[in-house]
Amino acid sequence: MVNTWSYLARLAEIEVGEHFYWEIGKYKVHGQVFLVSWFVMAVLIVASLLATRNIKRVPEGMQNFMEFVLEFLRGLARDQIGEKEYRPWVPFIGTLFLFIFVSNWSGALIPWKLIQLPEGELAAPTVDINTTAAFALLTSLAYFYAGISKKGLGYFADYAQPSPIMVPFRVIEDFTRPLSLSFRLFGNILADELAVAVLVLLVPLLIPLPLMVLGLFLSGIQALIFATLAGSYIGEALETHGHGEGEEEHH
Amino acid sequence: MMINRFLLAAVGAYINMPVLADSGGLFDIDATLPLMAIQFLLLAVILNAIYYKPLGDAIDERASYVQGQLKQAKEQKEKAIALAQQYEQELRAVRKQSQEIIAKAEAEAQKLVAEKVQQAQQEVIAQRMKAAEEIAKEKEEALSALNQQVEALSSKILEKILSV
Amino acid sequence: MNPIIAAASVIAAALAVGLGAIGPGIGQGNAAGQAVEGIARQPEAEGKIRATLLISLAFMEALTIYGLVVALVLLFANPFS
Repeated sequence: MVNTWSYLARLAEIEVGEHFYWEIGKYKVHGQVFLVSWFVMAVLIVASLLATRNIKRVPEGMQNFMEFVLEFLRGLARDQIGEKEYRPWVPFIGTLFLFIFVSNWSGALIPWKLIQLPEGELAAPTVDINTTAAFALLTSLAYFYAGISKKGLGYFADYAQPSPIMVPFRVIEDFTRPLSLSFRLFGNILADELAVAVLVLLVPLLIPLPLMVLGLFLSGIQALIFATLAGSYIGEALETHGHGEGEEEHH
Repeated sequence: MMINRFLLAAVGAYINMPVLADSGGLFDIDATLPLMAIQFLLLAVILNAIYYKPLGDAIDERASYVQGQLKQAKEQKEKAIALAQQYEQELRAVRKQSQEIIAKAEAEAQKLVAEKVQQAQQEVIAQRMKAAEEIAKEKEEALSALNQQVEALSSKILEKILSV
Repeated sequence: MNPIIAAASVIAAALAVGLGAIGPGIGQGNAAGQAVEGIARQPEAEGKIRATLLISLAFMEALTIYGLVVALVLLFANPFS
């Protein structure tokens, strides 16, 4: 009995802020994040290869499923960016969604704790602020790139579009966007894992299941939100006219 | 009891561990960030090559195929409708023609009947007239014969009377 | 860690989560109520309303999560320790 409890206790341990460090040259990286992210990438690549191995006009099995996913991703990008310009952005937004989604679900579904690391523990890559910040910064770069490649430096002139008073707000927004993107994802996934872990710590069996299911649902929504926001930022940067004129048409 | 002890131990572990962690912590941003970004871009490129492009092409190709088929089917349907209309028109024309023929035949037949009836009537009238003529002639003959007899008789009567 | 700082951090963390939950709680309640009203009035729009509601709920949820992140900073990565 005591042995069982101690085993369960070891499984239920909560580790926050501990990392399995690898040293590359003089830089330190979080090994556990990379291990799981490689797993996620492998899953995505294998699924893609399985789906495209033998492309048929009438899709079957894996191809059918992955086509459904692709249609969903295209719809997501199209809703935010618009029919005309969404196509080149599908890989970026789609990969954001897929990577975050598979990461979140792998963190919730796969019992990584059974694999012992010398330090830290394996978990979804998205519970590490580095991952989410990387995605958020890439999103910022993406929408700057989108705006500048379309309008040149005139993109920044759009900051003063309805009135020059908007300029400081828009500049602040450029900083708060990646901050809120990264913290939203990081905080949600971490909060979810912590809530499940605390409940597991208190009642190891069965009781945490509903919370885990809720966590699966919420982490799926978080992936959707991240991708949707990235798409809407890019779409806003690609918009030809200022915000005000676009909105006036709606009234 | 046992659960209590476990809880204490577990909560103790929970409180001790992270706070005492020497390095790192929750917001430990290091080389993981740029490497992750590069890795992500790499993944996007790979997935673009093995997933988005081929399957997207397949979807587009299917969409255009379906659209082509739909268009073809529409054309065929239109053709079929036109053909049906043509047939219907022909049918109508034929029906009209047949009705005309019937009407013509009926009219001819009626005309024939009318002619025959008229002829018969004329014959009847002619016969009647002939008969009437004959009757009149015979009447006349009879009358004249009667007249002669009357004259003969009257002369005889006269003779008798005179001779008396 | 200085015990006063530790105590202050724990109280601050509790306040961060607790106070941070009030606004989003009210907001989520409002949003959900309006959504239910919308579904009752127009049952055929349920799918669209539900999708929009979920996304808006997640945005409101994020506000509490920011509070939680601050709490976690205070507990696990306290800059003053």
